[in-house]
Amino acid sequence: MTALPANVLAEGLETVRRAPPGVLVVFGASGDLTHRKLLPALEHLSRRRLLPAAFAIIGVARTEMSDAAFRDLMAGADPDAGPGWAEIIKNSAYISGEYSHPDTFTALQGRLKEIDEALGTGANRTYYLATIPEVFAGVAQALGQVGLNRPEPGGSARLVIEKPFGRDRKTAGELDAVLHEVFDEDQIYRIDHYLGKETVQNVLALRFANAIFEPLWSRNYIDHVQVTVAETIGVEKRGDFYESAGALRDIVQNHVLQVLSLTLMEPPGSIDAQGIRDEKVKALRSVVVPKLADVPNVAVRAQYDSGWVEGSAVPGYRQEDGVSPTSQTETYVALKLSVDNWRWAGVPIYIRTGKRLPKRVTEVALQFKAVPHLAFPKQAATGLNPNALVMRIQPDEGVTLRFGAKVPGQAFMVRDVLMDFSYGAAFLEEPSDAYERLLLDAMVGDPTLFIRSDEVDTAWGVVQPLLDAWAGQGAPLSGYASGSWGPRPAETLIERDGRQWRTP
Amino acid sequence: MADAVSQVGLDGAPGRPPGAAVASEHGTVPDGLSAVQTWEQANVGLDQVLASLPELRRQASGGEAGTRTAVMTLVMVLGAGDDPDEHAASFRSLGGHHPCRMVVLRPDPDSTPAIDATACLWRAQRAGDDDHPVFFEEVHLRVGGQAASHLASIVGPFVLADLPAVMWFPDGVPDPADPLLRLASAVVVDTRSVGPGAADIGHSYRTLLELANHQPVVDLSWLRLQPWRELLAGLFEPEHNREFLPGVRLASVQGKPGPRHMLGGWLMSQLDLRARELVLEDARHVAITIDAQYQGEDGKFQVRRDDGTRAVWAQATLSGGISHRQGLPLPDDSLTSALSTAISNLRADRVWERALAAAAALAS
Repeated sequence: MTALPANVLAEGLETVRRAPPGVLVVFGASGDLTHRKLLPALEHLSRRRLLPAAFAIIGVARTEMSDAAFRDLMAGADPDAGPGWAEIIKNSAYISGEYSHPDTFTALQGRLKEIDEALGTGANRTYYLATIPEVFAGVAQALGQVGLNRPEPGGSARLVIEKPFGRDRKTAGELDAVLHEVFDEDQIYRIDHYLGKETVQNVLALRFANAIFEPLWSRNYIDHVQVTVAETIGVEKRGDFYESAGALRDIVQNHVLQVLSLTLMEPPGSIDAQGIRDEKVKALRSVVVPKLADVPNVAVRAQYDSGWVEGSAVPGYRQEDGVSPTSQTETYVALKLSVDNWRWAGVPIYIRTGKRLPKRVTEVALQFKAVPHLAFPKQAATGLNPNALVMRIQPDEGVTLRFGAKVPGQAFMVRDVLMDFSYGAAFLEEPSDAYERLLLDAMVGDPTLFIRSDEVDTAWGVVQPLLDAWAGQGAPLSGYASGSWGPRPAETLIERDGRQWRTP
Repeated sequence: MADAVSQVGLDGAPGRPPGAAVASEHGTVPDGLSAVQTWEQANVGLDQVLASLPELRRQASGGEAGTRTAVMTLVMVLGAGDDPDEHAASFRSLGGHHPCRMVVLRPDPDSTPAIDATACLWRAQRAGDDDHPVFFEEVHLRVGGQAASHLASIVGPFVLADLPAVMWFPDGVPDPADPLLRLASAVVVDTRSVGPGAADIGHSYRTLLELANHQPVVDLSWLRLQPWRELLAGLFEPEHNREFLPGVRLASVQGKPGPRHMLGGWLMSQLDLRARELVLEDARHVAITIDAQYQGEDGKFQVRRDDGTRAVWAQATLSGGISHRQGLPLPDDSLTSALSTAISNLRADRVWERALAAAAALAS
């Protein structure tokens, strides 16, 4: 067998990552995620010349729809779509059928074969599960039953699934067990769209592309870490979903712990999928899992009451559509964690996330220790606080360093100033949408920004005692006014350590 | 917007009266840009121009322009007879995307020995984002008399420390021996501007090859041709199509002189074609066609622009049955876009150098 010739015409163009020829199969193609996120992201990829000529999308869903209707849906992704998108639409198809019925998957197999033969898509298949989580396992098994889980020679078969990955450690493990019966781990791409954000990835650049920060990045200089994920919105139209999720499952187990692991991890040998994910898992494994009896001392949960947010009166959580008037679901979590490793021993990690808070902000703040001896008279440094390095993830993406400076004048007064790097000011280029980035990565076969099975399991392990403690009736649940920074017990949680929450 | 500029006059230098013979430099102001402060002076010393830069920031209203964000120094070197306004708008549009100190050098060796200067502080803003304006400086220097032959000594003080300095020659190809180039981390040229005669093209390409031996050279014309190259390369990504690459029988490139030579040179060098396997034809728009065979099967691979639509199409048609087509909106071929891409890729491009060498031979 002779070796395939190299594509010599592509030499020098490798810096731009493009998807190889292939077919993207979207399960849940008639749903909200497909309409709102996936199709617009794919159209943008096409417009930016990141999709190949030999490319098609096959939509699969229960909803009855013709190929033509699905193509209309695709065309609606962007009224100003470029001609490349029109060509992809022409190549694309729709299959309606039950996810539990073998006929659906036999039909899919036939369509894939037809497209491979007509377009030369090389049996590269990416299966995207934009469905409700309850059918993840069934779809994976059905793909396996018709052999679509196994790559054909020269081709690939990848499965992309969206969070939530289970409801707790046990169900996540059960889901993984089913997926692994059908797909190998390196075929599974678990999406947490937070990891697709440029600024989350910039945590890696800030830490590992700059020599000045890393020496300070440890218990030697850092007093504590605060992670804040604050939303101004309530549950919107997701009341039904949120009732069974809550802030711990919806935000802490995935987004917060992902960002935290990037903050705490050791420098990897290389910035690739294995290097980064190995270090992230190591960092998560170093987080001390709270004992069930300690949960009341390290965690606070709460639910928003009515109040005012951004000048508008808003209802309380229990008055929202789809929410039980006696709901015990938390919309706010404050948590204190500790880390048992050489770098972080003794440095508390304070986490808070909530809905209907005063400001939409996601940030990680490293609060440095105070100077060992203040040489100035106390009254000269009343405006001086310990240094802080804040990585702002959204919406005002950037990095802020707080340090002391002399106030101009005859007297020697010192006060805090901010050295502020803002992405928007340094780069006016629009960053890629997280879905664009992650879809392309999945099609290219780069799993770096996807979550590995052991990461999911370890992250569930960290929050499982809280889930257990809060599962029973009568578990404490505070209230907080919408538009406030959370309940009083959350302030107590940090104040009893002699510290305070930042005001982002 | 230019009429909103506040003028900040510093003390004049002896000689020509302040303001004399200095044309307004805000010919065209791109969207999202506004001049915050301007300073101008005729017959001026470089120290005065340098002093004006922090002064412009200090006097900017609200103090918001106090911090400079810069990623490079970008120098535009005009020819003696070039019109600075022709490229100025594209040049300053870059400031919003790549915060730079921008220096426009206008040598005028036949005029009075003097330097006339204008310095402007610009504010760039992304649509809908009031919170993150970018401020950058633009300095125009008209250099009269013998000093016009010693531009390196004039540019040196304006180059920001620790950051790349990029020299852009909008018209023509610089002399590789020019000391000015020693200040440059990279040189930006446009091979579309050379010619039109084949001999001129060949000579310019050989000069550029010599220049590329010393430092990275980025060719704006080559970057504008990238979508065509990407589309053509993309047609050979499916494994079956790739088998046709060693079996190319004929390649045909249409286009204007310059671009067609560069694409022809690229195909010759990358596919190892002989001269008789390549046809170059004059045409308004670029088009590439490759005819190839693999195990008795014929393949036609084509990238062309439709006259009717503003789109570029790539199509592979194999006699065995597979066919696919990819269309793209006509890429933005503006000067700003090409410059923006250029200064994001300041590195030697060996594929371009090989294409240039082959194109020089084709033009000879």
